[in-house]
Amino acid sequence: MDLTGEFEARSYGGGATREATRLESLHLGDEFRQLALPPENAGGFTALLELPPTQAVNLLRFTDSPSSSSQAAAVTGIAPPPLHSYGTLTFPSNSVLMERAARFSTDYHQNGNVSGTSSVPSNSSVKTEPAETDSSQAVNNRSGKRKDSDKKAKSSTKKKRNKSSEENEKLPYVHVRARRGQATDSHSLAERARREKINARMKLLQELVPGCDKIQGTALVLDEIINHVQSLQRQVEMLSMRLASVNPRIDFNLDTILASENGSLMDGSFNGTAMQVVWPHQVTETEQSYHHRQLQQPQQWPFDGLNQRAWGKEEDQDHGQ
Amino acid sequence: MQPTSSMKEEFLQKWQMGLQIYRPLIDNTSVSERRKAIKLSADVAMASLRRGTTCWSRALIQKTATEDNFLVRQMLSGIKAETLINKKLPKVMCHRKIVRRSKKILRRRKSRSAIEEVAAKARKLVKKKTQGLRNVVPGGEFMSNDVLLIQETLDYIVSLQTQVNVMRSIVDAAEAGSERTAYYLGKPKFAIEDG
Repeated sequence: MDLTGEFEARSYGGGATREATRLESLHLGDEFRQLALPPENAGGFTALLELPPTQAVNLLRFTDSPSSSSQAAAVTGIAPPPLHSYGTLTFPSNSVLMERAARFSTDYHQNGNVSGTSSVPSNSSVKTEPAETDSSQAVNNRSGKRKDSDKKAKSSTKKKRNKSSEENEKLPYVHVRARRGQATDSHSLAERARREKINARMKLLQELVPGCDKIQGTALVLDEIINHVQSLQRQVEMLSMRLASVNPRIDFNLDTILASENGSLMDGSFNGTAMQVVWPHQVTETEQSYHHRQLQQPQQWPFDGLNQRAWGKEEDQDHGQ
Repeated sequence: MQPTSSMKEEFLQKWQMGLQIYRPLIDNTSVSERRKAIKLSADVAMASLRRGTTCWSRALIQKTATEDNFLVRQMLSGIKAETLINKKLPKVMCHRKIVRRSKKILRRRKSRSAIEEVAAKARKLVKKKTQGLRNVVPGGEFMSNDVLLIQETLDYIVSLQTQVNVMRSIVDAAEAGSERTAYYLGKPKFAIEDG
């Protein structure tokens, strides 16, 4: 079963980096959501839960510290027990309901946000991060996981609570609202939430891949995505072949020529501050006439030793500064 | 999103570092070996940009480690190399196949309406496509759910675009440079002609 696979993944993943573990435990969280069956009561009350966000934020902050201690437990055995303490969910007073839902939603939501941002590297030059957080927030807003067992399960996967806690404050609450005519049992809610997550991400993919906006239908969009990825991979192969077949030349002038070419390229596509190059003067006018890219003033473009011209062209340049 | 220039710079630096490792071997290698060296170092550079946070990057590093372990070890800093290379591949894939097979056996025929049939066909098609996507994205078979798969695909596409952009500019520069040299070597007596 998938679940056992997940456990194995988790066990070997212990040695991996934090992020890796977190990522793997996220699938674990997903699996739990789909497999762990909460009692029917839980499905009922959360469907009707409508909590204004501000109130939920307060509840979250309030319940955050007590809940965090309980969440340190391991995933596996914890799932069922907490549920039993809330055996008869017969809509007690609102505050208890909200408190419990808030606590569980913290866990889910943090996980949701973490999953939204964990696949994105922390050096966050990747711009999908804001887009993804937005979409995952949007998704989390509309759909909700209120399965207690799932929340407890996922709680232990959050190693970066502090980091994601601020994101939680922006979007404090996840709850699901059963739409008219839709089933409100736990399975379909889970399914719906999952589907909405997938759709949000598919939209991002559609924006990324050129020409996907017009296409209707998941299968065709996936087709386009596959084609795009394959074409990119083929381009990489082609470029590496071209680079390999550039003739190695041992010419004293060559590295300067190449440096100038790359200087012009850099200013188009790089910001060039990290690189070093020597720029001999006599070459500059000649380069300018030859360029097919626009070259601004010959500046001292720092460039860190064009070593890909290693096939016999040049002597060592300085690496770094 | 589009690749940022800082990503491109970092990729270029790492790629060069990888290519440096091949430097001693340049003169006595064939074109195909050089191509392989270029591609492998580019792949590892691209994957190392993510520092092990994404599934595809880890899978890619493992794949190139099977081809050239030494390169991978040199390119990545020590600790990461050990953990990434020595990890066993997850066994999730085997389980999924078993599950699928047993589901097929257990499936009973239901009476289906026309609408249901169409929906079922659409779902089957989508499943086939996602399987195709798993085949293309490195490490795709080990991504257990679709959400993760799509996230990884997003990141992978962005990284691929970075890689392609940087490689293309390098290649164009190199080829332009080589044309230039051929020009110079071919006509040594003439002064440089300006356009």
